[in-house]
Amino acid sequence: MSPTRIPVRLRVNGRPAEGLAEPRTSLVDFLRDELDLTGTHVGCEHGVCGLCTVRVDGVAVRGCLMLAVQADGAEILTVEGLASPDGKLHPLQEAFAEEHGLQCGFCTPGFLMALHELIDDEPNPSEEQIRDVLGGQLCRCTGYAGILRAVQSAFAKLGASPSTESGA
Amino acid sequence: MAIEIPKNLDGLPTSQRRFVGRRVRRREDPALLTGRTEFLDDIKLPRMLHCAVLRSPFPRARIESLDVTAAEALPGVEAVVTGEDARRWSHPAASSPDGWGGHCLAGDEVRLVGEPVAAVAAQSRAAAEDALEAIEIEYEPLDPIVDPFEAMKPESPLVDEAKGTNKMLDRVFTWGDVDAAFDAAPHVFRESFRWNRVGANPTETFGAICEWDPMSLELTVRGSIQSASHFGLGRAAVFGLPSNKVNVIATPHGGSFGGRGGTRCTDVACLLSRKAEGRPVKWIEDRMEYLTAGGSQAWDRHYEVELAVDADAKVTGLRVKLVDDLGANGEPYGAICAAKPLAAFTGPYAIPVAAYDLKLVATNKLPSSPYRGMGPPPHFFVLEQMMDIAARSLAIDPAEFRRKNFIPKDAFPYTIPSGNEYDSGDYEQVLDRALELADYAGLRRQQAEARAAGRLFGVGVASAIEPGVFDWNAYAIVGLPGTGVPEGATVNIDILGMISVRVGFAMEGQGQYTLVSQLAADYFGCELEAVRVVPMDTQSAPPSFGPGGSRLGVAITGAVLGACEKIRGKMTRVVAGLMQTEPENIVFRDGKFGIPGVEGASMSVAEVAGTMLARSDLLPPDIDPRPEATHVWTAAGRTEPDAQGRAKSYLTAAQSVHVVAVEIDPETGQTEILRYAVVDDCGTRLNPVVVQGQLEGSVAQGIGAALYEEYVYDDDAQPLTTTYMDYLIPTVNEIPELLRDEVVTPSPFTPLGAKGCGEGAIHTTPAAVLCAINDALAPLGARAREVPATPNRVWNWIQEAGDGNQTPQGEGSNG
Repeated sequence: MSPTRIPVRLRVNGRPAEGLAEPRTSLVDFLRDELDLTGTHVGCEHGVCGLCTVRVDGVAVRGCLMLAVQADGAEILTVEGLASPDGKLHPLQEAFAEEHGLQCGFCTPGFLMALHELIDDEPNPSEEQIRDVLGGQLCRCTGYAGILRAVQSAFAKLGASPSTESGA
Repeated sequence: MAIEIPKNLDGLPTSQRRFVGRRVRRREDPALLTGRTEFLDDIKLPRMLHCAVLRSPFPRARIESLDVTAAEALPGVEAVVTGEDARRWSHPAASSPDGWGGHCLAGDEVRLVGEPVAAVAAQSRAAAEDALEAIEIEYEPLDPIVDPFEAMKPESPLVDEAKGTNKMLDRVFTWGDVDAAFDAAPHVFRESFRWNRVGANPTETFGAICEWDPMSLELTVRGSIQSASHFGLGRAAVFGLPSNKVNVIATPHGGSFGGRGGTRCTDVACLLSRKAEGRPVKWIEDRMEYLTAGGSQAWDRHYEVELAVDADAKVTGLRVKLVDDLGANGEPYGAICAAKPLAAFTGPYAIPVAAYDLKLVATNKLPSSPYRGMGPPPHFFVLEQMMDIAARSLAIDPAEFRRKNFIPKDAFPYTIPSGNEYDSGDYEQVLDRALELADYAGLRRQQAEARAAGRLFGVGVASAIEPGVFDWNAYAIVGLPGTGVPEGATVNIDILGMISVRVGFAMEGQGQYTLVSQLAADYFGCELEAVRVVPMDTQSAPPSFGPGGSRLGVAITGAVLGACEKIRGKMTRVVAGLMQTEPENIVFRDGKFGIPGVEGASMSVAEVAGTMLARSDLLPPDIDPRPEATHVWTAAGRTEPDAQGRAKSYLTAAQSVHVVAVEIDPETGQTEILRYAVVDDCGTRLNPVVVQGQLEGSVAQGIGAALYEEYVYDDDAQPLTTTYMDYLIPTVNEIPELLRDEVVTPSPFTPLGAKGCGEGAIHTTPAAVLCAINDALAPLGARAREVPATPNRVWNWIQEAGDGNQTPQGEGSNG
């Protein structure tokens, strides 16, 4: 009855990582429970709220809708990989702090990772493109006003030189 | 020595106030933004087990048999508990009203879908969930009790046979000669309203890690718990433990909004830990559990309302009949949401008399929980629709009708018929600013053009009160005894002048740790970074209730400033001794103690603290050498409720006016918000950026309640909204940009003049949006009397009006 556990090897935030996962284990549970990367949060486990968003080979993915075994060999970026190792916040994180883009902060890592993909894909996004990305993430505290201000501020500061590299 | 807490910002001992009242960046943010804040589910303890809960699929059924032996035998399973264990080792939970609580696991009967029946502790959550599959259980389904009106009939089956009735409360409260007011009124307006279930939905669900120490018989509970001390007392009562043997460690909350209950599964995890010989047991509620069986649902209400208006268009009386479907028990204290309207029953209006016919009814649905606003938001939804019905019938502009009935600014402090006292306000100024901000005249012109073109364009103007700084006496009518809610802080200064403030509550999102830092830093003239805020467990913390009832900002300000004042008093005596003068000659300002006019007679806070800690031999003999003090703040002047529930309860009364413009698509029934303007008055704003954030978030929750969110049950009491694909939380694309302005009338009763403001806009938003929808629908004769006003509902109202099926509204005959 004891379920098989399969080795999963990948890179997380620029470093090699490995662990064991049952075939049914989601990527977010693997990151949190097996790799102790608890900065990525779980909100609904059915793909609606977006809290568990991480980047998998550059793509913003819901960690509850992907299995850990599917991520074998992938390059993962999580919220723990955004700030520089010396503690300097990523411009996106800085903008969230500056513009009160978070209250309880539980949904924030998902927002940051979804927006991090947008920064790479579209240095000068339209309001519609921003809203399209934000529309996939739920926040219950802010009413999104502070988040919108933060995103506008972040893109204004990043200007035409978007960061394609994380702190990792 | 009497402690004097400054009543306004100028009372702080600083020439250059740098933090309090200014837009200060939150100190909580860097850890949150980098994923470093430790939430409950991030905690791993040695030998920890994981809990999964088997829940009833039936709203009402008898349990014929229950066999857990196969589950117990599975690998990885360490303990299984059932209702038998709950009856052996625990008591029924406390409730409001009293006597409507049960054991944490069902006995012979289940009373709602999702009621815990058995639970497993295993090596992993997955293993625990697997083991649930091996539990053998047989139910005999019974006819569920779904409709509260049917439930009140004598022939109805009973949710709880032992109670002998489904009416948890049935009382009429009368404040003044209401019958006379209605008899005398030339205009009486009547209408019925329906508020469907909505709820908090913090992004972090509830959970707990419970450790039952079998040797010392001590219980430790970690959890994202809103009021840790209160929760601890509840667990002590349930498990028959002395209160000093229950320690609650509150972890940071991923949102709360009142809907963070879940005592049953916390208690289940405690029982599992006991059965597993004290190993820690972690229970994390999943989202489906939250939506079906957590602290997720509030305010399931059926209203009948009457308004009496005199010939001069003054409202002279208000009657509210409320049937509130509280679900299967009273454990989550949802009943207090029906009591809280007493704190602001007549809203911002000078209505002299009122009556409240209140029926709390049990059904086989999820027990009702608190939610942001705690009951007044539906109350103001109906009151504000009534104001519009009256204004429309009397052909008076709705803004002017409200102005005419506002409590005048020179009438404060003002006692309302239901007993509470409002502290201060200038409602006309708030209204004027809101009308100007929204360009009300321009909106009315736009409306005239739109109507001429056959479009459904509406403008809503609504005003409401946010009662702030709750007191238990507000809830006396639903059986909660007592008066007084303390909040404490311990301020400590170390040998190098660095400050620690110990508090009894966890972070929740309202920037309270930043506020504590602002207060201490301005008081002692230091940098924010010199202040550390340390949350304590319930066995170590100063007396604390924590966040709730829009209280903590005001209460913690009183606690921190009181402790600072005590340290100043102590240090003043130390300095006087060292400078060989009397304490009266010592002045403290900008972080320095000195004697005015005496050159060189000056000591910094750090120097005094260092002297106290290192050279207690130099101090006056009766001085405690620690530069530390605790202050416990409690709202003064709260009164015992009378037989009609009247008391001075909530300390402050913030007020707001919202102006909303909407357009409705007649083909789809979809409402689009075109403009949203808010002006509010919550007294002194201690951190304006945080106050703004609370307002913005609360508007969004109000829009959710007005247009989108609803817990739906089918006719068999089965919940149909069990995922976020069914229960619709607004996204960024449903929330309009806000136009904001503010008025400040400081509270004369609070530290620094601040008023409670954390719950905020949800008091007004659903009312304002529905006022706008009704205004848009008025030319068709269609009426919105139910929330959420979903496209389907709005479309149906339009069709019914077209078919002539909506009965004539509004003014009825007297009597």
